[in-house]
Amino acid sequence: MGRDLESIRSVVEFCRFVRENGLDSGIKATIDSVRAVGIVDQGGLDDCRHALRAVLSASKTDWDLFDQLFDAFWFGCRLGTRARPVATPNSAVSARNKQGIYLEVGNPASREPGATKEERKIVAGASAMDRLQKVDFSRVPQDHLAELERLSERLLRRMSLRLSRRFRCTPLRGRIDLRRTIRAGAARGGEMMELRYKNRKKQAVRLVILLDVSDSMNPYSMFLFRFAYVLGKHFDQLTCFVFSTRLVHVSDVLKARSLPNALRALSAITTCWSGGTRIASALGEFNRSFGRRMRSTETSVIILSDGWDTDEPGTLVAELRTLKQHARKLIWLNPLLGLDQYEPVTGSMSAALPYIDVFAPAHNLQSLLELERHV
Amino acid sequence: MPSFAGDAQDEENGEISEFIRGFGCVGYVADRALATAAYLLVRLSKPLLIEGHAGVGKTEVAKALASYLKTKLIRLQCYEGLDAHSALYEWNYQKQLLAIRIRERSDKPVEELERHIFGDDFLLKRPLLQSILCESFSPVLLIDEIDRADEAFEAFLLEILSEFQVTIPELGTLQAKRIPHVILTSNSTRELSDALKRRCLYHWIDYPSLEKETEIVRTRLPEFDHELGSQVVRFMQLVRRMNLSKPPGVAETLDLSQALILLKKKVFDPETAEEILGCVLKSADDLAKIRNEGVGNLLSRAG
Repeated sequence: MGRDLESIRSVVEFCRFVRENGLDSGIKATIDSVRAVGIVDQGGLDDCRHALRAVLSASKTDWDLFDQLFDAFWFGCRLGTRARPVATPNSAVSARNKQGIYLEVGNPASREPGATKEERKIVAGASAMDRLQKVDFSRVPQDHLAELERLSERLLRRMSLRLSRRFRCTPLRGRIDLRRTIRAGAARGGEMMELRYKNRKKQAVRLVILLDVSDSMNPYSMFLFRFAYVLGKHFDQLTCFVFSTRLVHVSDVLKARSLPNALRALSAITTCWSGGTRIASALGEFNRSFGRRMRSTETSVIILSDGWDTDEPGTLVAELRTLKQHARKLIWLNPLLGLDQYEPVTGSMSAALPYIDVFAPAHNLQSLLELERHV
Repeated sequence: MPSFAGDAQDEENGEISEFIRGFGCVGYVADRALATAAYLLVRLSKPLLIEGHAGVGKTEVAKALASYLKTKLIRLQCYEGLDAHSALYEWNYQKQLLAIRIRERSDKPVEELERHIFGDDFLLKRPLLQSILCESFSPVLLIDEIDRADEAFEAFLLEILSEFQVTIPELGTLQAKRIPHVILTSNSTRELSDALKRRCLYHWIDYPSLEKETEIVRTRLPEFDHELGSQVVRFMQLVRRMNLSKPPGVAETLDLSQALILLKKKVFDPETAEEILGCVLKSADDLAKIRNEGVGNLLSRAG
C-alpha cells in the first residue's frame, strides 16, 4: 500500500482531533482509520471522508458532527457551535446558610400563610389518617407535620415493599424446558419423572430519581426527598440525584441509617438547595455522566419537578429525547398538578410533555402511593 | 494544514465506483458514502451498523450486497426475548429422545450412541451458526433490527462479531473458515451499547433527495411511466415534509408506484390518490392530517 509515514501521522492526528471534539473513538478506531484510508488510497479526499466517517462515528449525532470536524481539520474551517457542549458547572450557586435552609424546608407550613383554620379543620376530623393522605404537602399545618411524617413513612414503606417484591417471584409455569428436563432425568437412569419449566426471566427494575430542590419546589422537596429515602430502603438499584442549578448525586446519602441522618448528610453535600432551576442543564449533565451507562430496558426514570425552568424549552426537549432513549419509562411527577386550575402551559413543561410516558401529580401522600401503578 | 500524501482531489477509487455500479446492477441505488462503507466492510472484515428511518432501504443493503458478491444471505430477525438458542444452535431434543429409545435394545456401546445423538443430524443450525459454518465462501449475515433484541443478546453478539467463533460444549469450538460480511440494522428505537457500536463501522441512511428517489423508482420499476414516476416522487417528498408521526419511506414510494401500475392508472389525480393513500400512510392521525391539507392541493404542488 502506497502510504508513507506522513499520511499515517495526519490520520492519527485527525483521530485525536475528533476525540477531543466529542466523538467517542478509541485506539482501535484509530488503527482502523489508518487501515481504511490505506484501502481507499487511490481515491480522493471525498472517499477518505466517507471512509473515516464510517469508521469513526457511532451514532447519528456523530455522523452529523463529522463533516464539520473533517472540514475544520483538513481545510481549516472554523468549528461552529459544538453539537455536544462540555458541561459547564454553574458557579453562581447561591451560598445560603445551610442550617437555615434545612429549617425552612423542614417547616413548609411556616412559609405558607395559607394554612388557614379551614384546613386545620379538614385534617383534625375523625378519619384524620385518610384525610392526611390527601392534604397538599404545602398546606400541612405545623402540628400535623410529625403525624404526616409517620404516616408517610409507614405507607411508603409498604408500597415500596410491594413494588420491589412484585418482580421477584413468578409462580406461573411456562413452557417445558427439554434441556433441563433431560438433565434432571439423568439422575433416574434417563427416565423423565419430573418436568422442568422455563419462563421469561423477570428483570429487576432499576429506578433513577431526579429531584428538583429549587426555590419553587421548597414546600414539597422535603417530602419528596423522604419519598426517595423510603424507596431507596427497598430498591437495591435506586440512584438518586437532586438538582436546581446543577446536579448532585445523592445515592449514598439515601443509604444513611435514619432519615434525620440522611437529611443532615444531604445538607452537608448540597449547596444548591433553593436556588434557581435549570432543568435542561441538570438533565444534560445527567445524560452525559450517568445516562450513558443506564440500560434502557430496565431503567425507569422519575423526575420530580414543577417544570419551572430558566433554560430554553428547546434544550429541555433535546435532553429529554436523549434521556428517553436510555430509559424504559419516563415518569414526571409534578406537585403543581394537584392544584385545580393548573395547566402544564409553561414553555418547558408543555414542550416536555410529548416525551413523558406518565405525567402525574405529586402533591400529597396519596398521589405518591399511586406511583405503584406506573412503575 | 495536514494533507494526504499523493492525494488528488478529482481522483476516485476505482473499486468503490465498481461497488456503486454493482449495486446498481442488482437494483440498489447507492451513493458514494454507502458504497465506501460497504467496501470497507468487505476489506476490513468489520461489521457495518446501518441506522436510519423506517423504509429507507437498510435491509435492502444486505440483500444487494449478497447478490452483488454472488453469495448467500443469512438473515437473523431480532425480537424482544431472542436468546442464544434461537440465534445460534439448539439440539433437536425430540429426535434425540426417539433415537435413544430406538437404540435401547441394541447392544452397541454407549459411546457410539452418544456420538450418534450429538451428531450433525441432530444439530439445529440457527442463523449465526450457519454463517460461521459456511466453508467455501463468505456469506452476508444480516442481523436485522438489532434494537429490538435486549441488551443481554447484544452482549452475546459481541463475542461472535469480534472473534467469529462459537463454542458448543458437545462439539468444541468452531472457528469461521470464511469471515462473514455482517450487516446490522437498527431503527434507533433505543440506544445501542457503546461496546457494540465500537466494533462496527457506521452508516446513516437519510431520506433520499428528489433526484435519488426518482432514480430509485426508475431502477426498481423500469416499466413505470417516467413522468408519472417523477410526480409520485415529488408528492412523496412533500408528504415527508409535513411533520407526520410516521413519515413514509422509500418502500412506501415503491408501493404507491406499484399500486398505480396494478391499477393501470395513466394519471395520478386526487381521486386515485385518495383510493391508495393507504399505501403511504399507516396511521389514522396522519391520514387525517393529509386530508386536512387536501390531497388535491398537495398534488397540484407536486405538479
